[in-house]
Amino acid sequence: MKYSPLDIVLGILKTSVLLILLEIFTSAFLPTLGIIDFKPAFSVLIVLFLAFKLETPVLPFLIFITQYVHSIFSIEGWAIGTLTGVVVSLSVRYLKDLLDFSTAISTIVVVQLFQLAWFIMISFLLCIKLGDFSSYLHIFWQFVPESVVLSLISPLFFILLDKVWRVGDTTRGVSI
Amino acid sequence: MLVLKDFSVDTSRWKLVNNFLVIALSLWGVSRHDYSVKDVSLFESFLIEAFAPIQRGTLSVKEKITYMFDHYVMIVDTSKDNADLKKKVLNLENNIFKLEEVQKENMRLKQLLQFGAEIPREKVLAQVVSWDSSNEFKVLRINKGSNHGLKKMSPVITMTGLVGYVYRLSANYADILTILDQNNRVDAIISRTRSHGIVEGDSSFKCSLKYVIRTEELNNGDEIITAGLGNIYPKGIKIGKVTKIDKEDYGITQTIEITPSVDFHKLEEVVVLIEREGLRIEDQGSMDIMSKEITKDTK
Repeated sequence: MKYSPLDIVLGILKTSVLLILLEIFTSAFLPTLGIIDFKPAFSVLIVLFLAFKLETPVLPFLIFITQYVHSIFSIEGWAIGTLTGVVVSLSVRYLKDLLDFSTAISTIVVVQLFQLAWFIMISFLLCIKLGDFSSYLHIFWQFVPESVVLSLISPLFFILLDKVWRVGDTTRGVSI
Repeated sequence: MLVLKDFSVDTSRWKLVNNFLVIALSLWGVSRHDYSVKDVSLFESFLIEAFAPIQRGTLSVKEKITYMFDHYVMIVDTSKDNADLKKKVLNLENNIFKLEEVQKENMRLKQLLQFGAEIPREKVLAQVVSWDSSNEFKVLRINKGSNHGLKKMSPVITMTGLVGYVYRLSANYADILTILDQNNRVDAIISRTRSHGIVEGDSSFKCSLKYVIRTEELNNGDEIITAGLGNIYPKGIKIGKVTKIDKEDYGITQTIEITPSVDFHKLEEVVVLIEREGLRIEDQGSMDIMSKEITKDTK
């Protein structure tokens, strides 16, 4: 689907509001319930959606905006996530013919695989930046349950984002 | 057809240029990003100020929802009189509960303020508002900022020990890099043997004490306190206790696991220590008294 500049601005505004709500849920609501070591990365799920479903030359800037919003709630910053997001979106472009989002199961599997690729790249960059690879395994074990939860909710989440970006207007979308 | 072809060439060129631009920008950002202390731009400060109150409000929303569920939805099916009476009793109980909570909070805050009275620094009480949304970082946000006199790198403590330091600051909020975070390194002393080491977070809710020579005889339960070097933390603040010692047959140092004395799962209020003008950390001298006081309090 071709997007006008207005579609893009509205789409990213709505997506940013959704991300802000989810970041508040992760950073403030879950800790009030005593859950402080389970923080699903919704920003990653949004960037993956943008990479999978959007055909626009301004995609790198959309990834940048998403990561910038994420950086308000995390000291991770926008740079590492943006770099990873753009590299992942480039790899998605080459693999697009192999990716299938027609069923919930295929969406879950694809999202899980790309989350793994995201994790490998971002934690590698972080470890290089911090000069310490000793906690790589520990971060991985934290990543596993969070990424599985994100993958399981991804079909429903993508339906919601399909509506925000009106992807369903031209494609079949995701069926469960 | 020709127009369409030209357009697609243009689009792919745009994609290429945009990708290149954003990757270059990100690489510049990655190289510039500092995980030990951060300056906040005006725009970032504005965004933090705008969204932190919502994070803070989450707690009261949760309490209201719980209240509604417990005190309204659950009694819908009972008879009206009974419901009214129950409601009155519940309201009274709720008021008592609220008063008790206020009393407890007052006690906690009083203790926090009285605690470490001999530390020659200004103390600012703050409430924990939220945690960092990425699991890789152990950072928490408090409801006090530069308007309340906080400065970057100001140490943050509780009655039970060291929490961390101020990493980034906006007008009314501050992010605290806790001792659980890998980017936070604290110069420490083992209280019993007086040997030095560096405490680092290890991504879980434990820390590790590094660079302690193998020949140092340590025991489980040994207390670790701040050394006062590094110009961030005052000397003598309790960090935690030794819970595991790994001594290999080779190497010159040993691996020591520390359980922090602060229970980060139950952290509600903290105290930020602000250095007064003209007072240097080195001048503060005998802060070991404080560690004894903390030990006494925790017992």
